Amino acid sequence: MKEIIQYIRRKLSVRVSLWVVLFAAIIFILALGFLFYQAREAVRQEAISRATQILDKTSLRVEGILNRVEVASDMTKWLALRHPDQADSMFVYSRSMLQNNPDFYNCSIAFEPDHFKERGRYFSAYTKHIGDSLRTIQGGSDNYQYFFMDWYLMPQLLDKPCWTEPYMDNDVSTNTSEMVTSYCQALKDKTGKFIGVINTSLSITWLSQTISETKPYPHSYSIMIGRGGTYFVHPDSTKITRQTIFTQTIEHPDTALIALGRAMQRGEEGIKRMNLDGTPSYVFYKPLGKTGCSMAIVCPESDIFGGFDRLRHAVMTIVVVGLLLMLYLFIRIITRELSPLHRLAKEAENIASGQFDAELPDFQRIDEIGQLTQSFAGMQQSLVKYIKELKDTTAQKASIERDIHIASGIQMGMLPENFPTKEDRDDVQLFASLTPAKDVGGDLFDFYFRDDKLFFCIGDVSGKGVPASLFMAVTRAVFRTVSFHESMPDRIMTSINMTMGEMNKTHMFVTLFVGVLDLPTGHLHYCNAGHDAPLLVGNEIHELQCDSNIPVGFMPSWKYTLQETLIPQGTTIFLFTDGLTEAMNINYEQFQMERVNEVAARALAQQQLEPKQIISMMTDAVHQFVGDAEQSDDLTMMAIQYMQPQNGAKRIQSITLDNDTQEVPQLNNFVNEICKSAGLDEISSSQITVAIEEAVVNTMSYAYPVGTHGSVKIEVTATKESIEFTITDSGIPFDPTAQEEADTTLPANKRRIGGLGIHIVRQVMDSIHYERMGNSNVLTLKKQI
Amino acid sequence: MKTTILEKDGNITAILEGRLDTATAPETEKAMKPIYDSEGKDIILDCAGLEYISSAGLRIFLCILQKAQGKGQEVYIKNMTDNVRAVFAMTGFSNIFKFK
Repeated sequence: MKEIIQYIRRKLSVRVSLWVVLFAAIIFILALGFLFYQAREAVRQEAISRATQILDKTSLRVEGILNRVEVASDMTKWLALRHPDQADSMFVYSRSMLQNNPDFYNCSIAFEPDHFKERGRYFSAYTKHIGDSLRTIQGGSDNYQYFFMDWYLMPQLLDKPCWTEPYMDNDVSTNTSEMVTSYCQALKDKTGKFIGVINTSLSITWLSQTISETKPYPHSYSIMIGRGGTYFVHPDSTKITRQTIFTQTIEHPDTALIALGRAMQRGEEGIKRMNLDGTPSYVFYKPLGKTGCSMAIVCPESDIFGGFDRLRHAVMTIVVVGLLLMLYLFIRIITRELSPLHRLAKEAENIASGQFDAELPDFQRIDEIGQLTQSFAGMQQSLVKYIKELKDTTAQKASIERDIHIASGIQMGMLPENFPTKEDRDDVQLFASLTPAKDVGGDLFDFYFRDDKLFFCIGDVSGKGVPASLFMAVTRAVFRTVSFHESMPDRIMTSINMTMGEMNKTHMFVTLFVGVLDLPTGHLHYCNAGHDAPLLVGNEIHELQCDSNIPVGFMPSWKYTLQETLIPQGTTIFLFTDGLTEAMNINYEQFQMERVNEVAARALAQQQLEPKQIISMMTDAVHQFVGDAEQSDDLTMMAIQYMQPQNGAKRIQSITLDNDTQEVPQLNNFVNEICKSAGLDEISSSQITVAIEEAVVNTMSYAYPVGTHGSVKIEVTATKESIEFTITDSGIPFDPTAQEEADTTLPANKRRIGGLGIHIVRQVMDSIHYERMGNSNVLTLKKQI
Repeated sequence: MKTTILEKDGNITAILEGRLDTATAPETEKAMKPIYDSEGKDIILDCAGLEYISSAGLRIFLCILQKAQGKGQEVYIKNMTDNVRAVFAMTGFSNIFKFK
């Protein structure tokens, strides 16, 4: 049962069909019920009228027969009384009676005993049908003393003609007997004396046949009862005269039957519906005239309604079969009509499982299912399109993310990784960290060593992300390029600004701090382009005083100012970007400079001034402050701790110059500082500077003929005892030691312009040595201290 | 390198300040044109502010002297710093110039 309900719930076609058929069935039941009721009523009325008609007809017929009997009897009586004394005439009358009325059973004209003396005691002119002929005899005898018979006595006693109760008429001569009823009429002579009786009999069998002749229905039958309820006519001949209508109620009380019997006895007319011998039947009853009898037609209901019931059964069968057929057809039709939905559902599942190219069936329909299919196809196409777009977008995004990841790697790779520590250098140690807010950031730092100087910078590009990172990369590259030839931060900054400003169409800018720390002396040259001033953490904590210069990239013509200071031994320069001071916690509070100072003070108090230590402390402090808040800006820190180099150690420094005499001031600066840091006095330093200038300018002028370009490298090795310069170029072979020396003793007008340079070199330096090594001229100059 | 030419008391004076090296020599030589062009006046080279001199600078000094001697002018050097004096001594220029 549960399964059936489940099945119905799952099948739309079954459900819809069931509803339709249910409604149809209700309508059929109502219509047919009404129709059947009306039809049955009509059939019943028809049966009643038919039965009544037949009953009336039969009754009339019976009455007609009875009347005929009575009239014939009257006629015969009249004839007999005309000649009451002529016995033979009685035979004629009796015979003619039957001749005229062949359906009468017999007729006897019986007279009182000894009425015709000559005929003996008995005289009864008795005529009866024997086959087709008539037999007329004298019926009275000793064996048959008719004047004791009911039919003879009744009219005499009642003093009027009457019908007898049926009785058995025995024909002695033929030894046959027949149940008959007789009309008896007394014969009285002119004096009124009773002389005999005319008895005309009708065969009950014949009457019964006559009555039963017309049957309204095949199984209907007629009954007739007498006054006492005795059956005169009944299909069961054994009951006739032997049983009354009440007989069977003695054993099986049957109120309906008793009521019928009583009504018939009372001579009423009517219809009763009752069970007779177990068969529901309609009984139509009516009295039969003067006889005192009552006849009834019993019509079994099955006969009356037989046709109707057959019709009803046929109609019901047709309806039931029709409804079942309808249900079946509906299910089939709806299933067929909905079958595209089934396929659509399957395709939808396919699409849902990711098969977007699943081909939708073309049903060629313009109804709702067709529309649904079209909508579905549209949806599928859109899905395919959107999924493709989504895929492309995702792929693009992945690609961009990958690129950015790579870019991040490249950017991080640009930054120097090998930070000099105490183990690597005795003069300086450095550490830096850069944490971008996004994958790629706009902060930068850089440092490298050249010519015994530490070149470093820290910067912050406006904005974040990819654009900032590109600008940052460019800035860092330009810094490297420019600072390779330029040693003064202001000039480096001015060059960077010029380069960046000219190609800055996006109006980005970068705050930049460039410093050049002279390692032998601790002399710091610096230039600040709008960047946060670094902290100096040494004996005390203070900000490095910075001129206000505009950030790089704004104005290519801006002239940046140079500043300088001396970094005491052990002091740490702490540089940072605004990502530190502006680091925000969840409450949008900033870290601020006070906290930076606090951390620096703590580092100083704990003597944690090594770059790695101070940056680590600062990082921890920021992380603690920021908590779970998202990093809002790139955070970069760089710390440089300067330590005085130990005396006596061998130190090598170098500078590389173009073959351009404009490089000379830079050379002189370099040489002068080396001499000073080597402990030479002002005059000696100046003399050595002049000597080196002469040697280098000679090289520039002669190793590289006019119009050719090249570089000259000057390496210096300083020890406690001596200072040695090695000048190397890759020009044409040129040996300055082979040059003719100027004669310094000549008077002014005899002096030549050239030759002074090498003279000065010889004068100043203790030794001078030339060597051609491969493609290079190598000149070594040495000065004892 | 800064070069200032002054004419007073019948003399023409060049005040030299800064470092006279190979790089700055050409501009200094240009600035000395009034000295080269002057006639009949004594030439005074004021070297109080001259921190440094190399052979390129010495060459200018020698040119001025040779030209002046040809025109009968006297050349005096005034207020020499130790650095410059040392170079002059080294090159024998101390012997050919007159000092004030």
